[in-house]
Amino acid sequence: MAALSPNPQPTAVLELRRIHVPGRSQPRLDGVSLRLEAGERVALLGPSGAGKSTLLAVANGLLHPAAGEVLWQGEPRARGARARRRQQARIGTLWQDLRLIEELTVQQNLNCGRLAQWGWPRALLNLLLPLDTGACRDALQQLDLAPELLEQPVSLLSGGQRQRVAMARLLRQNPTLLLADEPLASLDPRLAQELLALLLRHSQAPRALLLSLHRPDLLQGFDRVIGLRQGRLLFDQPAASLQPQQLQALYAESEQAAAAAAPEPIG
Amino acid sequence: MRPAAPLLPLLPALVLLPVALLLPGLLHGGGWDLLGQFLLAALRPSGDPLVLGSLLGGLGITVGMALLGWATSLLLGVPLGLLSSRLLWRSLAGSELPAELLRRLLAVPRSIHELIWGLLLLQLVGQQPAVAVLAITIPFSALVARVVSDLLDALPERNLQGLLAAGTPAPAALLTALGPPLLPGLISYGGYRLECALRSATLLGVFGLGGLGNELLLTLQSLQFHELWSGLWLLLAVMLALEALVSALRRRWSMPARLALAQRQPVGRSSRELLLVAAALVPLLLGVGRALAVDPAALLHWQALPPLPPGGWQGALALPWLAMVGQTVLLTLVAAALAVGGAPLLLLLVAPWPWGGWLLRLLWALGRLWPPPLTALLLLFVFKPSLLTAALALGFHNLGILGRLLLEGVEAAGPEREEALRCSGSGTRLALLYGRFSGLARAYLAYGAYRADVILRETVVVGMVAGTGLGSQLRESLSAFAFDQLALLLAAYALLTLLGEDLSDRARRALLRA
Repeated sequence: MAALSPNPQPTAVLELRRIHVPGRSQPRLDGVSLRLEAGERVALLGPSGAGKSTLLAVANGLLHPAAGEVLWQGEPRARGARARRRQQARIGTLWQDLRLIEELTVQQNLNCGRLAQWGWPRALLNLLLPLDTGACRDALQQLDLAPELLEQPVSLLSGGQRQRVAMARLLRQNPTLLLADEPLASLDPRLAQELLALLLRHSQAPRALLLSLHRPDLLQGFDRVIGLRQGRLLFDQPAASLQPQQLQALYAESEQAAAAAAPEPIG
Repeated sequence: MRPAAPLLPLLPALVLLPVALLLPGLLHGGGWDLLGQFLLAALRPSGDPLVLGSLLGGLGITVGMALLGWATSLLLGVPLGLLSSRLLWRSLAGSELPAELLRRLLAVPRSIHELIWGLLLLQLVGQQPAVAVLAITIPFSALVARVVSDLLDALPERNLQGLLAAGTPAPAALLTALGPPLLPGLISYGGYRLECALRSATLLGVFGLGGLGNELLLTLQSLQFHELWSGLWLLLAVMLALEALVSALRRRWSMPARLALAQRQPVGRSSRELLLVAAALVPLLLGVGRALAVDPAALLHWQALPPLPPGGWQGALALPWLAMVGQTVLLTLVAAALAVGGAPLLLLLVAPWPWGGWLLRLLWALGRLWPPPLTALLLLFVFKPSLLTAALALGFHNLGILGRLLLEGVEAAGPEREEALRCSGSGTRLALLYGRFSGLARAYLAYGAYRADVILRETVVVGMVAGTGLGSQLRESLSAFAFDQLALLLAAYALLTLLGEDLSDRARRALLRA
């Protein structure tokens, strides 16, 4: 099929073309384009309000851009409900607030990652009996969590355990595109390092990772860095070649300072 | 095998299986064309000015009765609630005993449905406008009193103790320490009671105590469905307007913190507005009372009670009490299960379609507004009179009330977890079930337990029409003026509802604790 594709390059896991999302006073995203190839791990940097969360919401299909195209593995948003669900099942998001279901056990939460594949009978059975215990155990073990946790309600877990359970739910989902919105924001330095290592380890090809960060000191292990400021791309380059003044411009207080250091002036 | 939280609200819906099995046997064969005509007439209500005029007149009387009954029940209920607060008696007199006594005493008027009060008063003092108002006032003021005292006793005592220890006079200390925290709960509950009063006033009308309910019953019995629907749509408009007004006022007055962030409202604005509205209510209520010709003095002329029958109490005691109580309990359980389980099930069914939600809202609004005896009469077009027919009618009414509450709960649960599930590819229904029902399951069921207690009280309303339980006997005893039977029936009702109240309180506490 790839040979028939009009796209000369191999299909990207995610491609955004000239995305525009309007906001109240200024656009939340303004002409943003980017490609994410299989195996790529990309960090998204930018000050608060730069549009990082909006970009991720567009990337996981939650938000429809007013203009521009979003392609997942070369395909636009599917029309039918069933095809749409299959498409969404390939996109995994690690939410900043984790969005675990407090009232359910760890195992039931992990199995939430399979709801896209499961029909009603299994989804209901999951609320009555422990299902797929072997696979859930594996997912926990990959994240160095004890299998005994499976029967615990999520509400009884510690902060670090909850992060890992959310990660394990992603592994159960087995997505191609991994998105994470500031997953390290509320963690202490050691937990942040550990989670980041886990994310990087589990995003090898054919997967790809796009992760928003507010701390530029955690860029090790990323292939590329993207700088977003006031809804526009300021830079998109290999992580190794990032210069300190580019970061200064990204986080600068005033428009002029940013414009002075940016490759092209901002309107 | 223990069902997880999201399944809990759906479990009562299992009652649908036996209901579906039994219903075909209850069909009496005819009546479908009548039911069809009734449903079609919804689209073409009568526009005849004569009909509309009479309906509007009836609606005015119903709303007037509701307003008067509501206002008097608040006027009586709030002081009674203060008097039955353990906290108040303890801090002012050093003993909780008077509060306990008053609480026990108020349980009696509370346990008996306003319809029974209305019909009894009708027998005692004859047909007059004050009867309906008093019938609403008696149980409602006892209910308000209970809620007020519960709210008060749940408040932390430290602030009050602090003020008293500093030498503040007791009344001032009470007002300062307990007034502001009590107000939001009181406003919210007061608004809810006004909605209840409108429903009760309509219901009392169906049983001949005046107002729109009577018109609805007459048009239904004479099969004038177009005129019936004009009345129903009018009532729906009034009810939805009232609900919107109550929830707007509730948001405006009882959550100042959230509004303050948005627009920095000046201190004391909401209390000033409250006082203004209260002041405006006084002339309004007096005007309504005059227009309805409510004369409290007329309530004092009692008719003499008929003498006991020759056999003394023997006759009354020989009634099939066990069967009647059993039927009443079964009716309560089936109706409650239908209502509690039906609402989340329907919500899940229509979840994928945007118009489905609006259709459901309309269905639920109709359920709330429709007096259950009218639904029972409609069902009797196609079903034989039976416990199940009565349960369907009562269940439909309470489905409307629980459904609205469930929707509010679903909206309050926030979209985050549902969104997360949708984003990972779950279908709409599963995302709703897992993402939103999980969090609200226990609170919803706790409310369901409270509602079951209300349903038990309401069984009399459909029992009288569908001929089941204590209600059907009540109807016979009322028309036969058999006051010995009536006295025993009232005692049975009171005992049953007090037991039910205790059980539902326990269930609610257990649900909220876990």
